[in-house]
Amino acid sequence: MSGSDEGGASRRGLRRLTTPGGIFLVAVLLLCALPVTSRIGDPDFWWHLRTGQLILDNHALIQTDPYTYTASTHHWTMHEWLTEVLLAGLNHIGGMALIVVVLSITTWLGLLALLMRALLRRPGFIAAGAGLLLATVSGYPIWGPRAQMITFALTCLLLLIVERHLTRGGRAVWLLVPIFLVWSNLHSGFIIGAAFLGLIVAVESVLRAMGRSEVDPQRLRTLVYVLVACLVVVVINPSGPHIYLYPFETQGSAAQQSLIQEWHSPNFHLVEVRAFEAMLLTLGIMVAITRRVRPRDGVLVLATVAMALQSVRHIALFIAVATPMWIEQADMVGRRVFPSVVTRMENARETVRMARRGGMLLGVVVAVCGSLVLTQLAVAASTRADSLTYARTFPVCAARWLDTAPSGINVFNQYGEGGYLARSIVPHGDRIFIFGDAALMGDDLLRTYGDVESVRPSWERILQASHTDLVLFDNGTPLANVLATSPRWVLVYRDPYSVAYIPAGSPLVGKLPPQTSYAQDSRDTCGLLQNLGLGDGS
Amino acid sequence: MAALAPSPAAPPLASAQADTPSRRGMRWAWLLGAAGLSLVFTVRPLRDPDVWWHLATGNLIRAHGIPGSDPFTFLGAPNPWIGQQWGYEVLLSATYAVGAWLPMLLMGLAASLALVVALRSIPRSARVPGPLLAGALLLSALVAGTVLGVRGQVVTVLGTAIVLWVLARWREGSVRALWVLPPLLLVWANLHAGFVTGIAVCLLVAACVALWRVVQPDAVPLGRLRPLLIAVGVATLATLVNPAGVHLYPYIVSTFTNPTLTSGITEWMSPDFHEWALRFFEVEAVLLVLLWALSRRPDPIDVVLGTVAIAITLQAQRNVSLFAVVAAPQVARYGWAAWQQWRLAGSHAAPPRRPRPSRPALPALLLAAVVWVATGLVHVAPMARASAVAQDVARNFPVAATDYVAAHLQGQRLYSIYEWGGYLAWRFPTDRVVYIYGESAIFGSDRLQRYLDIHLVRAGWREVLTEDGMHAAVVPGDSQEATAFLEIGWTTLCHDGRSNAVVMHDSGLGIGPSSTPPDPASAPAC
Repeated sequence: MSGSDEGGASRRGLRRLTTPGGIFLVAVLLLCALPVTSRIGDPDFWWHLRTGQLILDNHALIQTDPYTYTASTHHWTMHEWLTEVLLAGLNHIGGMALIVVVLSITTWLGLLALLMRALLRRPGFIAAGAGLLLATVSGYPIWGPRAQMITFALTCLLLLIVERHLTRGGRAVWLLVPIFLVWSNLHSGFIIGAAFLGLIVAVESVLRAMGRSEVDPQRLRTLVYVLVACLVVVVINPSGPHIYLYPFETQGSAAQQSLIQEWHSPNFHLVEVRAFEAMLLTLGIMVAITRRVRPRDGVLVLATVAMALQSVRHIALFIAVATPMWIEQADMVGRRVFPSVVTRMENARETVRMARRGGMLLGVVVAVCGSLVLTQLAVAASTRADSLTYARTFPVCAARWLDTAPSGINVFNQYGEGGYLARSIVPHGDRIFIFGDAALMGDDLLRTYGDVESVRPSWERILQASHTDLVLFDNGTPLANVLATSPRWVLVYRDPYSVAYIPAGSPLVGKLPPQTSYAQDSRDTCGLLQNLGLGDGS
Repeated sequence: MAALAPSPAAPPLASAQADTPSRRGMRWAWLLGAAGLSLVFTVRPLRDPDVWWHLATGNLIRAHGIPGSDPFTFLGAPNPWIGQQWGYEVLLSATYAVGAWLPMLLMGLAASLALVVALRSIPRSARVPGPLLAGALLLSALVAGTVLGVRGQVVTVLGTAIVLWVLARWREGSVRALWVLPPLLLVWANLHAGFVTGIAVCLLVAACVALWRVVQPDAVPLGRLRPLLIAVGVATLATLVNPAGVHLYPYIVSTFTNPTLTSGITEWMSPDFHEWALRFFEVEAVLLVLLWALSRRPDPIDVVLGTVAIAITLQAQRNVSLFAVVAAPQVARYGWAAWQQWRLAGSHAAPPRRPRPSRPALPALLLAAVVWVATGLVHVAPMARASAVAQDVARNFPVAATDYVAAHLQGQRLYSIYEWGGYLAWRFPTDRVVYIYGESAIFGSDRLQRYLDIHLVRAGWREVLTEDGMHAAVVPGDSQEATAFLEIGWTTLCHDGRSNAVVMHDSGLGIGPSSTPPDPASAPAC
């Protein structure tokens, strides 16, 4: 293509962006950064960060669990070591703010890759914007700065590269090999990427055998070579070939699937899951109307529907796979049902004068949406780890209190708070019962924890057998309420978020520091927590 | 007469063959054979916790008439008693008096019949072959069977199937079929509150047909809608002929909008797809969408009904049975259409097949009868034996624990879990010892929340227990309530090993033991 042709194409592309559809798409693309930009909400974040710091400090990976008194001999498959090192490095350079910024941008880039894949099929901008908007809202239960977003972004990138290769060819598909090399060291979700790639190859091979493939056979052959190369390079990680088994151990663990909330099926009574439901149902309806689906898209969507219905965390994968198909289907339905409206929206800037007006409007939209996004990013990034916001979500004040107590205490903790405590009290010399690496903890420990959390009759015997010194749990939970009535346990700490109990005959009786009391006008985080409560009427 | 809304055109291969009595007989043979086999999924043991209080209420109605207020709990229910299932309860009580096997069998037959009726709602012109009808019926029975059994919802499943059949006939041009609706709804409203599903389906179809005029103004004669709307109106008026009259509707609204119900009771929750049984729902839903896409032109009304059925099942897993009824005819119809598409696509390569000669249907019908007998002998009869029923009930309900209560704690207020309250009501129908049971609407959100305070050992649970004056309990031995009661000085009187229930009693000390209490399961056998 000559330079003038390229210049003309880019001018046409820019002019399309000044149409109402284009402005809508740009606005959506910018605004979809809002829900993916938030403060740290993932309870696992904290132990990932701490683990990264330990790896950097020791210049070596960790072989066994360093945080708990119950699983300290368990061998640790560090499938996310590179993510952990990166988190620790970012924290060292720019604190948690930099981590929030980087992970939020990573998620947003995933959405951008997803949009670019959709645009390969040249849908109208209105359909593209609507699809991206619905996808972003559908992922609301999942978004946030967390390691899983790396897998989301890389899955979107993988699918974009593969789609470009199958439709346009080129050598960019070989980029997948280094991507998989890095991915297998970042997150065990690489197996999903490999499975998607394998499915695409399988579907296209079957179609080719049936004489129905639209893909160039040379491109398909290249993709097979790439797949094989990817499967080979993922072995280059600290766990070697064992890394292949790790994701299946997690998926096959009944204890993890039943105890950990993000592995539960989506609860469609929740407002935040309704958009996912709408996306699912409208996709079904549109497929029934158009009856045109590429087999590889259909197979991938079916696989991710099954995964998303099984575990709410897999909604992100459904979005990564299904959004371009949703956009394509919506475009086809829109053009069939409202052809004149779609055409008018896309060709509204035909004259230079109108294009100039559209350009100005686009500038205003970019400025407004960009400001909103930057404000949100600034708020999320500036939230300090010891702020009231986090003190209402994690046992910040209880950890601070334990820091002033004698070290070496075995603390029975809530599963979702193990990560925070691993970072806050383990460096002080204390140990915790459990934290979020469920595969490292093992099914037996998870079930044992579940028995105590749901106060089954064996709860106290489990605590005694595991040599627990102190129970630190959320206020208002069944365990906390049973401890409150038991004559054999003594309350040693209480704030609106957490309570701590020790056995009445414990050697710790009298050795633990008194709880700090705060003045009504205290500006300290724990003083604010004491005086303002959890902010939900408590 | 022309169909009211678009339907896939009659499949060319089928239309090429005359629909002889022999072919119809074969279709019936397949359908009836599959219906017989489906009893494996639809005849279920007495596992639904609500069956017991329905039985107790049925006994009460037969003896004294419909009660005016909650007859079982010691606190009484804050909301008035709406005897919306009185007809079902009377039938249940009368059949159970003959033997537990009878309601099990009748409900199973009704569920299988519902699927047969639903499959009869396929347009006659489609001429779906018997094997596909049988396959769709069995798949839907497998899907629906997970939530069926001896429960009033079976009535709603059957009623919905009949409504689908009526609407199919109406769309084919029969106005007379619509007049099935008023008597159907009259009976239905006196059997189960799910009758509103029938009205909703009719209105949804009417709305779709009216909307279709926007796309094809000349396709739908609007005048044809009028008889449907009149029939639905008359049917709705007929539903008011019930003991609660117009109050039936606020009762239904309060049930559907009770947030405690939808967040606390399993069957009102979203499906848990970790359970294999609910994976079958997923399989059928995905299959349905695939078949819509693969067939030539899915009927928009079918797509709307199917989508709504999927949506309501994602909201509440109890609706999986309604989905199965809606999906069965569509899977068969579009499965056949998709198969024909597939054959047509490959027909340029393969030589055209000669139509198969008709085979006599009588042997096939006899074979279907053999399937019924075999299913009855192999599955139904062993399950319905009195000893088998007793064993199954003892495994799922606190039979021995309740025997102990009857012998030693007669008349005492009992705390128990929501799922066992109905059984206690059946065992102690006149003693008013029950705290709560499955008729959630009469208890209202506040009472359910008080129950949940204790059940989930929430803040203030002990105060609720004291305020409501309960000093004895029948709870699962490994429940958090059992643990919590031990901590306030209650003792375990006995353990029912089969259901893992324990009978606990307030020792009056008000404080738990100074050393770790023994496991409630180690108490003497009840």
